[in-house]
Amino acid sequence: MLWMRHFELACLEGVPTREIHGELHTGVGQEAISAGMVGFLSKEDAMCSTHRNHMHAIAKGVDLRAMLAEIFEKSTGICGGFGGHMHIFDPSLKFSATGIVGAGVPVALGHAYAARLKGNQAVAVAVVGDGAVNTGAFHEAMNMAGALSLPLVVVVENNEWAISVPFSASSATETIAERAPSWRAHGIRVNGLDVEEVANAFEAALARARSGKGPSIIEAMCYRFRGHFEGDADMYRSKEEKERRRSEDPLERTKETLVARGLATLEELNEIEKSVVASISEMLASVRKDPSPSGADATRYVFAE
Amino acid sequence: MERDPQVLVIGEDVGGQGGVFGATRGLQKKYGSGRVLDTPISESAITGMGVGLALEGYRPVLEIMFVDFIGVCLDQVYNAIAKNHYMSGGKVRMPIVIKTAGGCIGSGAQHSQCLWGLFAHLPGLKVVAPSNPYDAKGLMASAVESDDPVVFIEHKGLLLKRAEDFTFGSDVPAERYTVPIGKANVVREGSDLTLVTLSGTVAPSVTAAEEALKKGISVEVIDLRSVVPLDMDTVAASVKKTGKILVVDEDYLSFGLSAEVVTRLLERKISITSVKRLAVPDVPIPGALSLEQEVVPNERSISAAIAETVGKA
Repeated sequence: MLWMRHFELACLEGVPTREIHGELHTGVGQEAISAGMVGFLSKEDAMCSTHRNHMHAIAKGVDLRAMLAEIFEKSTGICGGFGGHMHIFDPSLKFSATGIVGAGVPVALGHAYAARLKGNQAVAVAVVGDGAVNTGAFHEAMNMAGALSLPLVVVVENNEWAISVPFSASSATETIAERAPSWRAHGIRVNGLDVEEVANAFEAALARARSGKGPSIIEAMCYRFRGHFEGDADMYRSKEEKERRRSEDPLERTKETLVARGLATLEELNEIEKSVVASISEMLASVRKDPSPSGADATRYVFAE
Repeated sequence: MERDPQVLVIGEDVGGQGGVFGATRGLQKKYGSGRVLDTPISESAITGMGVGLALEGYRPVLEIMFVDFIGVCLDQVYNAIAKNHYMSGGKVRMPIVIKTAGGCIGSGAQHSQCLWGLFAHLPGLKVVAPSNPYDAKGLMASAVESDDPVVFIEHKGLLLKRAEDFTFGSDVPAERYTVPIGKANVVREGSDLTLVTLSGTVAPSVTAAEEALKKGISVEVIDLRSVVPLDMDTVAASVKKTGKILVVDEDYLSFGLSAEVVTRLLERKISITSVKRLAVPDVPIPGALSLEQEVVPNERSISAAIAETVGKA
């Protein structure tokens, strides 16, 4: 979680300095969901992520430095600078991301069908936001996954806001989880600020998928601490709401739990945090020295042949 | 499919029925319902799962029944299939064939378009449109083998025709062979005018060329076979000889193939004394046949265009 939080904070440094162009979407405040997925997936399991993908990639094991270099538009980036922060691809880990809301779920469906064809135990995980669940692609993919009983786990990060429109104003159902039975899927809503709740639901959904029982939807409730993108004026959420919700920080909550259970002292956790901050700061300094991709390469990779 | 177990066929009615035009008949029986999958009417799911399957090392052939339906899933086609190789810095490949049917057979505005110009405008897609059975088989084999995504547009008029009714390319060997993608075919040699076309308008162009010869006009007919890559070497060599170019295109006129061919000739500084484009004049395809015949190139309008281009109208 600390790595996720401080990775995002490192990315934020590149916006005012104009090292990162275009819109940057960070998931500050949503760390518990990605942290809850850590450790359950193998290289054979696929993950299809979104425009807000950094923490999902970290959960899947994508190399942090290569990702940071991609976000900072360097030739050493995981996609050589051709992708940018919304399009992180790591085929060795079956990780991909898309900047189109909802479009990752049909891709995950393909991975899930591949697992069926190969007859292995692999699972396809699609992580989406609450905005994605109202797209046609989401419904098409869920229906097909249910019809074929495919090993698909959809983790919905419900941060209650699809840019400026609240979930309550855009969904015919009160929850997303309750839609699951219509696709012969299992649905559960969990507190996305609680790592253990997410992890338990994720583990159960993976077990269900691996045993051939079909798709699941995990709706993890959370709050986006920052605007939809860096530079978002974020006038649609009241100051009072933002302050109140930001005070429920999943990172602090996890620290408190660890201390309360006697698993670590606050001092130890602060030491760990300090070392994470130092490592990421060192990584960022090193990435900043990397070269930008050469303009002469801009027309490469349109075709493979 | 026999040679490569990674090849899959996915789409609506491709399995049990073998495709609405019979193009995949017998495949499900032979290769099973895993490799030949009948899907719900869910084009976004079909094309999206093609992306996931390609990422898993498969070579999916995705059938979009009519090219007009691409509107409901163009996102996956141009934002993922066409771009993933590029966006990943060459790390992932998208060896996907989007097999679809285009062309006019009197089906009205939503079931008659060609749209190869649309796909060709989007970087990252190869675009193939065969004109005869021999090419269709050979080009499909090349498309399936290709590591790049290929939009394969079969003309409905040709799909509904019997092989023996084709005046060229009707002999189809049973064994496997390939026709390379990106190499145009000079269907008929000539010296007065270069007629460039593809797909369903190749046959009427050849007939019109035969008629023109009776009037002393020698027309060279080039079947492009693919819009991307566009074989400008073959076209340029012909126009150098004839100095006159007529592009016959069943797709829409503006911002499309016909302008592209002519512009590329000009960029090559090839001397041209006469240019004409015969294409659908920027109107939707009408329903009634009497209206359709007015806007879609046919033997009569091609003959008139030939005469006009050589100045004998």
